[in-house]
Amino acid sequence: MFAIASMNGIVIGVIYALSALGVSLVVGIMNVVNFAHGEFYILAGYFSYLFATALGMNLLAAMTLAVAIVFVFGLLVEYTLIRPTYGDDLYSLILTFILSIVLQNAYLLIFGPYPNKPPGWVRGATDIFGLFMYGNQRLAALVAGTCVIVFVFAMIKLTWFGRIIRATSQDRGMAELNGVNTTRLNMLSFGLGCALAAAAGVILAPVFPVTPTAGVPVALTAFVVVVLGGMGSLRGCIVGGLTLGLVENLGAAYLSTGYKHVFGFIILILVLAIRPSGLFGHKEA
Amino acid sequence: MSQGASILKSNRKNFLYGAGLAAFAVLPWMLGVYNQHVLIVCLFYTMMAASWNLIAGYTGQISFGHAAFAGIGAYVSGILAVKAGLNPWVGVAAGTVAAAFFGLLVGLLCLRMGGIYLSLTTLGFSEILHIIINNEYEITRGTMGLQVPGLTTSYSKISYFYIFLVGAVITLTIVYKLVHSNVGLNFRAVQNDERAASALGVDVVRTRLLAFTVSSALAGMAGALFGHYMMLITPHIPSLDQQFLVLSMTVIGGLGSFVGPVIGAFCLEILSEYIRAWGEYHVLVFGLVALVVARFAPKGLVGIYKAWRGKKRPETA
Repeated sequence: MFAIASMNGIVIGVIYALSALGVSLVVGIMNVVNFAHGEFYILAGYFSYLFATALGMNLLAAMTLAVAIVFVFGLLVEYTLIRPTYGDDLYSLILTFILSIVLQNAYLLIFGPYPNKPPGWVRGATDIFGLFMYGNQRLAALVAGTCVIVFVFAMIKLTWFGRIIRATSQDRGMAELNGVNTTRLNMLSFGLGCALAAAAGVILAPVFPVTPTAGVPVALTAFVVVVLGGMGSLRGCIVGGLTLGLVENLGAAYLSTGYKHVFGFIILILVLAIRPSGLFGHKEA
Repeated sequence: MSQGASILKSNRKNFLYGAGLAAFAVLPWMLGVYNQHVLIVCLFYTMMAASWNLIAGYTGQISFGHAAFAGIGAYVSGILAVKAGLNPWVGVAAGTVAAAFFGLLVGLLCLRMGGIYLSLTTLGFSEILHIIINNEYEITRGTMGLQVPGLTTSYSKISYFYIFLVGAVITLTIVYKLVHSNVGLNFRAVQNDERAASALGVDVVRTRLLAFTVSSALAGMAGALFGHYMMLITPHIPSLDQQFLVLSMTVIGGLGSFVGPVIGAFCLEILSEYIRAWGEYHVLVFGLVALVVARFAPKGLVGIYKAWRGKKRPETA
């Protein structure tokens, strides 16, 4: 049981990390928490389901298209709703929270309350070190999630665009003085944050079907991961995501399945009480 | 304006408020049972929105756990009445104290970190409460709902109307007194410029903590009263949908203004009764309206009215 719970923890932890990366990126650059993060995740799940099942598209194409649409949608949301609130954290919180409720109810109206599931990528199961059989779909999710994370880190550490992101999250004013168009960067990073939520959504949708409100626990977990890792720290997302995935699944296996998501909240409380800046956060948050 | 004239004006204002309240108090005698129910629900939302406004509008901290605190009030009071056979009024007091206690705990944990942390933690708190209510089925009856006794021996809408009216007046008085005291001055100082306020000797964390605890306690009282009015406590009371309604009422009415939440609560509740005939669209419709208002008129209906009056009579504005 320990082995299979750990394996589940690692798979889900990678997805948590991926989804938290999107939140952390936006917090680091814009100091905005997107409360509709979970709804973007769900939106991508629905799109990939629609394109693959209803339109019969190729799976990879359906997933790419879903992420691209959510990216554009994120750009639009930033342009219409978030941009006028710069410097006023209060209204960005209120607006994204209202947006999340609006989207949930819109999904309910369009797709109904039933769980929807895009087709799986692979069939069957693999024997893991002779310990247990593990679903190939989950292994594929693990690989895909890791690939996207590596891609994001490579982009941030190696490219010119990544250098702009790092400069802006370290010191916004200085980045502006050096010619960074921070308004456009905000828009791009918000879209990118949504696209990361979408990536997590399309990867996980074949394993955990999407329902209109299934995004709420995902977003909450992403927020806990971000606080645990330290606001704006990308490294913290990976460590935090894996920690949370393992704690939740081991807790569910040994203590209680109904309280799976409560373990995450206990971690949040501990972090706030002991080290509010998180594992890799700066002292002054 | 001279001192005398301003006292006269404030007396006239008080008289108008008193007359309005008296007129409102006789209103249910002229209405049918259904409309009486709508008025009671309006008063419940007035309590919720006004107390949420205390933390969000006056100190600039967004709590997503207001409905959860109302739920704590409702469930504590209900469980005490059902399992321990306590008088419901004692239960309401216990529910209020319990909500204040949890508010204090959550506030102590995250208010020193400021802004975003409170929003994140209260959102998590409300989700956890949901999970606990659904899992502890033996005590809370989960989604089936917990049947609780009413507050009065013989059930009548009119008596509940007065109970909720008194509750709303208490809530509004506490909010008004707090905001118009030295503490209220601190609230606004903290909201406007945290660093300047703290440099002038305002204890920022304690100010926020006080506002958050009082606001949570008032939510707990509203929730406890509402639970005993409905005589059935379901997880809908501490749900995010409920939280969203309270938030939209405050934002549409006018965040940070005293009458804004009252106007918002009445407008949205009455509107939702009309829209209900078309099916379950009302949350979506309110969401879109709230989105437009928060984006284009962040001061809500009160702000729109003030701007309109300022344009009409620029010399007195």
